[in-house]
Amino acid sequence: MSRIITEAGLRELAEAWLRDGQAVAGPSEVKLGLIQYRPITAAARLLFDGFVHPANSIKEFFFPRHEPLYRYRLEGSRVVLEDCEPPAVKQLVFARPCDAAALPVLDHVFNWDCADEFYNRRREATTVVTLACSRYDDECFCTSVGLGPAAEQGADAVLFALGGGAFEVRPTTAKGDAAFADRTEESDRTATPFAGPPRRVALPRVEFDSPVWEDATLECLGCGACAYTCPTCHCFDIVDEGNAAGGMRAKNWDSCQFSLFTLHASGHNPRHAQPRRQRQRIYHKFHIYPEKFGPILCTGCGNCARQCPAGLGVLNVLKAIEASHAEHLPA
Amino acid sequence: MNNDAFLPQIARIDAVRDETPDTKTFSLRFREPDEARAFRFLPGQFIELSVFGYGEAPFCLASSPTRSGMFETTIRRTGKLTDALHRLECGEEVGIRGPFGNGFDMEGARGKDLLFVAGGIGLPPLRSLIWNVLDERAGFRNVTILYSARTPADLVYKDELDEWARTSGVEFHMTVDRGAPGWSGNVGMVPVLFTKTALRPESTIAYVCGPPIMIKFVVQDLFMRGFREESVISTLERMMQCGIGKCNHCAIGHRYVCRDGPVFNFRQIRELVE
Repeated sequence: MSRIITEAGLRELAEAWLRDGQAVAGPSEVKLGLIQYRPITAAARLLFDGFVHPANSIKEFFFPRHEPLYRYRLEGSRVVLEDCEPPAVKQLVFARPCDAAALPVLDHVFNWDCADEFYNRRREATTVVTLACSRYDDECFCTSVGLGPAAEQGADAVLFALGGGAFEVRPTTAKGDAAFADRTEESDRTATPFAGPPRRVALPRVEFDSPVWEDATLECLGCGACAYTCPTCHCFDIVDEGNAAGGMRAKNWDSCQFSLFTLHASGHNPRHAQPRRQRQRIYHKFHIYPEKFGPILCTGCGNCARQCPAGLGVLNVLKAIEASHAEHLPA
Repeated sequence: MNNDAFLPQIARIDAVRDETPDTKTFSLRFREPDEARAFRFLPGQFIELSVFGYGEAPFCLASSPTRSGMFETTIRRTGKLTDALHRLECGEEVGIRGPFGNGFDMEGARGKDLLFVAGGIGLPPLRSLIWNVLDERAGFRNVTILYSARTPADLVYKDELDEWARTSGVEFHMTVDRGAPGWSGNVGMVPVLFTKTALRPESTIAYVCGPPIMIKFVVQDLFMRGFREESVISTLERMMQCGIGKCNHCAIGHRYVCRDGPVFNFRQIRELVE
């Protein structure tokens, strides 16, 4: 037996959350042909099917693009700080499995040594419902990084499209159970397993000193689109917005792909060329992060390639590394 | 409070001392006495200093933890934030987060000969360690301090340099790249000072801090004279932003300079890949 919910039932669920003053976010067509994860104010805006992957990721619902940390103001010569509270509002987020799978990966960096309470507060307050994939495009490579079209990592419940506007619900946590309690019907229909994209690359050993970095990444423009749309990239900057009399200290997204990222005030820039920055990003994802925390920092969502104006992306670089290894095999 | 990690404590500027035309030393004291008492650090650790309206940047602690109640940082005017900081006066307030980083291994230095080699604005982090060592002098063997700057005007802590030169049990030499009227001391790059002192590579820990080019030549020289990579120590500068190993600005290979450093020995530095 399985549990079934209709598309209308999903929209009722979202409406119920909105009516209770809670937040709902998910794939939504923000303009013709552009699908993004967005907070929505009407459940009619949610898309449950008919697309491969939104142009962004869900990380911004946990690690926002812009987060005020505190406000400051000057009273005479006295500095007054006012702490900003992380929001406690509950959120319901609909996502692809490759986005949800990034969350347990990011938990490591936001909690090692010193916990980021802004992130943790949002993690606790959020129920993630994934929409298992029934199609893929040329950029998808979840199956090459140990995930798949119905991966459960980071999900509180997984939805499988059955056709005819019906979805099978498989809750994986108590939060997922609670979200769908009394909203499903028993059925004997179950989802047909879907294999997802073919394995596109065997994760190669990533060599640090290799000509492949220059060869494969020279076209990178350093725009950061890959990092901003990546579910796992988490570089940030800490800046003041305001003036010396008052304003806020904020945490904003940043990217190791920007030339200013490592620039010192003295003018010295330790990572002075774009291929070095690309190497840092790929090496961090497949070597440094797993060495430090366990999991690799990539879920194979393919957004880096979809959004890259220069036709790069993690998969292409990994393939170039793989090819360079093959060239160097003894005859 | 829920964002302690990012929320600074407020410190007041107690004194400002001009070191060179573009470098000042700020004596700071936490506004809240409880915070002042609770502030403990090791030489080699750093703070994130906020000038509100301009942001936050990492600076080394330049005073010794043995002198409690206040702390000092010596800062060259280089960009927007340091420019704004240089305009602040006594009684004005800044934000402090930290201390961050590993600091120098004090226990590992006990009972050893210590050689300090500093260039220009590289002296402040070593000054913290030097005063700590001198305040606990019995715990260490020979102390040799070699200091160089581009010109006599670029020497920082000028009064203290005289004091170190007069202190018994401290061997102190300095040199400038280019002399100036009134300068009767050594002229030449810092390695010229190696000929003035007896180096004991097998029993010495060398602390080297200064501009990258100076570090490069000093370290090569030390290795040629028989120092091992493990006993030559430096502190790395990166754009440490969060200080807690999350923002990635200071990541070099698998190290976060803000957590795993900024103090490294040259064996570790050789293994760091940018």
